[in-house]
Amino acid sequence: MVSLRVCAGVALSLAVLCSSERPDVMARAATGTLTGRVHVIAHPARRLATAGAYPGRIVGIQGERETSELDNVVVFVSSPLRGDSTPQRVAIRQTNEEFVPHVVAVTTGSTVEFPNDDLIFHNVFSLSRAATFDLGRYPRNASKARTFTKPGVIKVFCHLHSHMSAIVRVFPHPFFAVPDRDGRFTIPNVPSGRLEVTAWHERAGEVTHPATIESGEATELTFSLPLTDPE
Amino acid sequence: MSEQAALRSPRLLVKVLCFAFAVIGCVIVAIFLLFSWQTNARLTQTVVDNMESSQLRFAGIDARLRREHTLQAMALAENPTLKAAVDTYYSERGNEHELGQLQSTIETELAKLQQIMAVPALSVTDVRGVVLASAGPNKSDWPVGARVQLRVEENGTPVETVVLRNGNPYTATAVPLVLGRDVVGEFFLASPLDDAYAVDLANEARADIAILLNGRVIASSTPPSLRRALEGIALPLSGTIVLGQDEFVVQRLSSVDSASVYALGSVATASRTASSETGWVLLLAGAGALLMAVGGSWWVARTVAHPIDRLSHSLATMAKARDFDRPLPPTGGSRELDTLTATFNELRTAVSLAEAESEAAYLGVIGALATALDARDPYTAGHSQRVADLSVAIGRQMQLPDSDLETLRLGALLHDIGKIGVSDAVLRKPTKLTAEEFEQIKLHPTLGARILKPLRFLDAQLAIVELHHERPDGRGYPYGLKGDDIPMFARIVHVADAFDAMTSARAYRGALPIATALGELWRLIGVDFDAQVVQAMAALPITLTEPVPSEEATGTDRPASGALVQFPARSVAHTAHHTQIALRRAE
Repeated sequence: MVSLRVCAGVALSLAVLCSSERPDVMARAATGTLTGRVHVIAHPARRLATAGAYPGRIVGIQGERETSELDNVVVFVSSPLRGDSTPQRVAIRQTNEEFVPHVVAVTTGSTVEFPNDDLIFHNVFSLSRAATFDLGRYPRNASKARTFTKPGVIKVFCHLHSHMSAIVRVFPHPFFAVPDRDGRFTIPNVPSGRLEVTAWHERAGEVTHPATIESGEATELTFSLPLTDPE
Repeated sequence: MSEQAALRSPRLLVKVLCFAFAVIGCVIVAIFLLFSWQTNARLTQTVVDNMESSQLRFAGIDARLRREHTLQAMALAENPTLKAAVDTYYSERGNEHELGQLQSTIETELAKLQQIMAVPALSVTDVRGVVLASAGPNKSDWPVGARVQLRVEENGTPVETVVLRNGNPYTATAVPLVLGRDVVGEFFLASPLDDAYAVDLANEARADIAILLNGRVIASSTPPSLRRALEGIALPLSGTIVLGQDEFVVQRLSSVDSASVYALGSVATASRTASSETGWVLLLAGAGALLMAVGGSWWVARTVAHPIDRLSHSLATMAKARDFDRPLPPTGGSRELDTLTATFNELRTAVSLAEAESEAAYLGVIGALATALDARDPYTAGHSQRVADLSVAIGRQMQLPDSDLETLRLGALLHDIGKIGVSDAVLRKPTKLTAEEFEQIKLHPTLGARILKPLRFLDAQLAIVELHHERPDGRGYPYGLKGDDIPMFARIVHVADAFDAMTSARAYRGALPIATALGELWRLIGVDFDAQVVQAMAALPITLTEPVPSEEATGTDRPASGALVQFPARSVAHTAHHTQIALRRAE
């Protein structure tokens, strides 16, 4: 059994008092800004000191990348909303036998490119219901792309390197954000009203808080991950 | 020793042989037993050592195999499809109705892995420890949705665990499915700890296998009796134990949680082959040694018994032939035997001398008797002696052996002994005898034989006395035997008797000259006298002697012209013991 350590720590409710009233927010009277902070208290799921049967393999085209679990958190409005979902084009690079970044969040219709920066072949495939695909194998400097039309969680793997994985979260609206290295996030132009906001991590699961967005106001939310066992 | 006793008592050779063989045989058997006991002990020790080392080796091999098995499982756990499917399954678990595809993907991958690993059960759990899929013949004990708690070390190294599924004990090794640095699920191999598993392991270990859980035997390759004996016994990590009658070499191969796998080797079974081989060699050696012991005993028995055997044989022969004249040859076997032989020879000589003395005494008496007889009639004085001398001379001329000459001499000396029974009136009658008187005279040979018969040592002389009046033409008495039926000695004495009678004076006639007497002999060859004897007699260098009146004849009317025969002076050996004969040389 995976023992999820329950974090009983009290979330620091750090009041961010800086007035972030910007001109464009003020211009739209029906929207507000959602802001706040995410705390990843401890790693939610079991992590191993080594990485499976083939640890420490270094392809070595770049130096050590500084990583943070906060990069793998997505905060989004989980209430059914419709919004302007302008398609984007983002990249998940294959670097040092890793998908970088590990987690991307896009709106429906967006395209994710998977350029190969490594000296070796890579592959991109997914078994997820929202998008099942296999981009085949391709060498260094080649790139393949996939457009995601259905919202959902799409897990992406490499057939050649079983330890590689990435997640594409597709939303039908633009009201989502990935927190920065301090855990801060800002989701602008959220329609005012009562709605639910969720912070998500692939292993820690989700934490959902209700929020009331008032027009022109910034609403502050604090999330603490992980949660208890998802059951 | 009587014939029966000889049959009853075993031969000395056999006795010595049996005794020597019994002693040597006992020694050999004792050595053989001691040696085989020691060999067996050493063999058992060797077998125990061998089994211990082989079990230890197998324990090492088994541990390595388990490690390699785990490594293989870890390598197989890197299957990207399996990982992707498990991870995706986990992230989409909210939509159960959509999971069929992923489920079958996982199951397909597991089935492939199961074919490679050939384990009885292969399962995958998600991060919560819930079985997502299982494969293998024992997958029914690992149903989808079941919760399984398996241990994995913090660094991800798989650890073997013993778990009970549906009451069946399994040994299971969990291998984490790692994505990046996260564990997305577990993949585990499970084998039921049953008899089949024990038998498989036993075949590889070449020893019996027993699997104990909390001190209870849950599986074994051993027969049920041994299995029962193992219950409740504290098995050592490594060493020997005694179960029932048999000694077992025990080695713990592995121990997981409260379950332990032991290799058990029966010392008796293992050493049976080896000991039967050495047993044969020992048996052959023992048989060879016994055979050599038989040979050695035979040699000893022969060495000891043969001289005695030879001595006893010589004695037996001697006794049978009644020939005690020759001394026993020395056996040369041993000083004691030689002393025995020498003593016997001395006794034999003493006995012979005594015999000879008694014989001489007898003969003296008989000779005296004969002389006395002769003396009854002055005309026959010295007759017996002369006949004896002449007979011996003839016998010697006929080249008879000395022993025969002695027989002849004695026979001749006694030939007229029967005349004792003839009355003086007849015997000394100076005139011609009547027929009746002559019939009386004719009885004397039979009478003589009757007198001498009781004297066993005169057996040979009996025929001479009895038959000295038989004639070749069959007109002699008492039996009227003819030619060759008459013994040679009797024929010789007959001729000598006649010659002496002719050359001696009688009351009714004078002595005939020798030539006339010889002529008479010649004339009557084949009728009254034997040709061969007469020829021998004639060939004697006989000289005529002037008749000299003998002591007996002196003063009698015996004619002075009695002829005496002079023979070359060589008397028979025993002559000296008897009456000295005075022979007069012719003047």
